Amino acid sequence: MRKLELDPRTKLFMIFAMSMIVMVPAFSTLQMAIRIIVTVIPILLMMLEGKYAAAIRFAVLYAAALILQHYYLSVESRGVFSALITGYCSIVVQFMPAMITAWYAIRTTKIGDFMSAMQKMHIPDGVSISLAVVMRFFPTIKEEYENINDAMRMRGIAMGGGKVTKMIEYRLIPVMFSCVNIGDELSAAAVTRGLGAPIKRTSARELKLRAVDYATMAVFAVSTVLFMAAKNIG
Amino acid sequence: MNENKLKAKDFITIGIFTALVFIVEYACGMLGFIHPYFIASYVILIPIVGSIPMMLFYTKVEKFGMITIMSVLIAIIMFVTGMGWLGAPLIIISGLIADLIAKKGGYKSFKMTALSHGVFCLWICANYFPVIVTADNYRKNLIDGGFSADYCDALFSVINAKTIAILLILCIVFGVVGAFVGKAVVRKHFEKAGIV
Repeated sequence: MRKLELDPRTKLFMIFAMSMIVMVPAFSTLQMAIRIIVTVIPILLMMLEGKYAAAIRFAVLYAAALILQHYYLSVESRGVFSALITGYCSIVVQFMPAMITAWYAIRTTKIGDFMSAMQKMHIPDGVSISLAVVMRFFPTIKEEYENINDAMRMRGIAMGGGKVTKMIEYRLIPVMFSCVNIGDELSAAAVTRGLGAPIKRTSARELKLRAVDYATMAVFAVSTVLFMAAKNIG
Repeated sequence: MNENKLKAKDFITIGIFTALVFIVEYACGMLGFIHPYFIASYVILIPIVGSIPMMLFYTKVEKFGMITIMSVLIAIIMFVTGMGWLGAPLIIISGLIADLIAKKGGYKSFKMTALSHGVFCLWICANYFPVIVTADNYRKNLIDGGFSADYCDALFSVINAKTIAILLILCIVFGVVGAFVGKAVVRKHFEKAGIV
């Protein structure tokens, strides 16, 4: 089967709509239903692009938090343990939909496509280049951080001798060192390939909005409007 | 070529440091789920811990616009991660002012840099905006969202329309204090290694 690839602009629109939906509190059943439906869509899209493991992981995590929160927790819950569980569930239920969408958009978009989409939307180069670097950098930071953690554990200083400031210092400084170095290499590589050249950027692959893109955008637009309207109707 | 124009290398630097600052913010943010007083203490925690990457960033800033672009990026990331757009104007305006202050010192004067970092730290208060502006809704949302009533009461006792002024001032004060901490750390580690 041919992979279903959405246009980066559609993905951005999905993120935008999703942020609107997760930001406003959901009171009624209809709103909850909309929220769940729009969360399922990116999970399905991930599967269509062949990211089964991640899709299943997100789905299970989200479902577990939703069920826990809905059936076992209430205003009366007190105590440290339930506070922790509550905190965890709220993070997941509140931010997971946006996280899933963002993860989907980042992992399935090639940087080149992202740049030409930004160009088509007339976003200034400065913002789009920096944003592309940020997107690319989160996985790098995570990787570097894990390496540093391993190295520290091998030397038995993972807890920094029990001092909080040391724990932060021993981790943050090496991560910053590697990030600065990686950044230098990255900019050297990018400039060699013509980033920041004073001519208009062209792409090998022409981006076009297809029927699927319009359909996805329509679904998200309608969900957002319904979600907002449901609050006023009550 | 105009020397003051931002180049590709600068944009990449901005991207890297934005990612680092955001990681710090995110790590501190996780503490907020333990107790609401931690949420109020963001104004102390984030300026001080975040100052370490920020001070290194300031040593790389030489042109106008870099701090402003960083604030725009932070606003975008905050929006995408579900914090809403209410704080966006505050973030971008404080970034712009911070940029102007740093420019006045020619991006070299430490006095101006410290002040600029203080102003830049105002963006942290953007986290509180949804709590204050939509207080009633937000409370109901939290309770529906499974937070206990204890948590909510504590949260609203530290963050409301009255305390926001204090929080804003604390942001600036600890931003300036953080600048000194960050400067010391940068000097200790990075200048020795010859990265700056």
